[in-house]
Amino acid sequence: MAGTRRRSRNRVAAVLSFTGELLITAGLVLGLFVVYSLWWTNVLADREASARGNAVRETWRTAPAAAGPGALDTRDGIGFLHVPAMGGGEVLVKKGTSSDVLNDGVAGYYTEPVKSALPWDRSGNFTLAAHRDGHGAKFHNIHKVRTGDAVVFETRDTWYVYKVYAQLSQTSKYNTEVLAPVPRQSGRTVPGRYITLTTCTPVYTSKYRYIVWGELVRTEKVNADRTPPPELRG
Amino acid sequence: MYGWIWRHLPGNAWVRALISLVLVLAVVFVLFQYVFPWAEPLLPFNDVTVDEGSGATR
Repeated sequence: MAGTRRRSRNRVAAVLSFTGELLITAGLVLGLFVVYSLWWTNVLADREASARGNAVRETWRTAPAAAGPGALDTRDGIGFLHVPAMGGGEVLVKKGTSSDVLNDGVAGYYTEPVKSALPWDRSGNFTLAAHRDGHGAKFHNIHKVRTGDAVVFETRDTWYVYKVYAQLSQTSKYNTEVLAPVPRQSGRTVPGRYITLTTCTPVYTSKYRYIVWGELVRTEKVNADRTPPPELRG
Repeated sequence: MYGWIWRHLPGNAWVRALISLVLVLAVVFVLFQYVFPWAEPLLPFNDVTVDEGSGATR
């Protein structure tokens, strides 16, 4: 009789300790997932982005000049975005905003739901997205961008210098209005050459979207030494 | 569970510790290489684009 009771108590103890170990394991796995999301994906994405970026620069250096807009190769990336206020150097810009594209530590320009204009278009909105955390976290410091800050887009031949004039620190993720060719939410009502940066907010989540708008103030020819415009020399 | 694994590993305590370490590293590798990349798009932590709520774009 006493033996049976002890045996059943042992069984209960075994089940409890097994459950406890499972819970501890689940906790460790979740912890590892955080490490993966916030650190390892950055390592992979930065490695990938710098390799792709170097490839683009190499192409620019070796490709024959006078390659018109028709010769534009959008697959490897169309240029580099520089936002001194965000720190962290240049961001390669590629076509598309799917996770396949963005997970390589680049910024992507929208092809849908609203098709982005490109910087060299006579008017329109150059709309970009990049990750806030993980996968390179290229727009991590978007909250540090203030009105008047410079956003520079570098192509093979031209520096496009934009100036930030409006931010939206929180909006619905379904708010595709922000991508409009004339982004009325930013206060502009006439066609112009705009740039829109989008990412998720608050940090570490995807509940809302953070938007930064800028407009083109001037363009500068890239010289032989690729001397950056004064905005980037500060 | 872990006690059971430990008892079934061969060798003395040092050998068992070494094998345990290798097993842990193997599990971490499998998680980082296969499980997490698979799970990540299914979790709503890293959507950065605005879209029309089709759910297909990220």
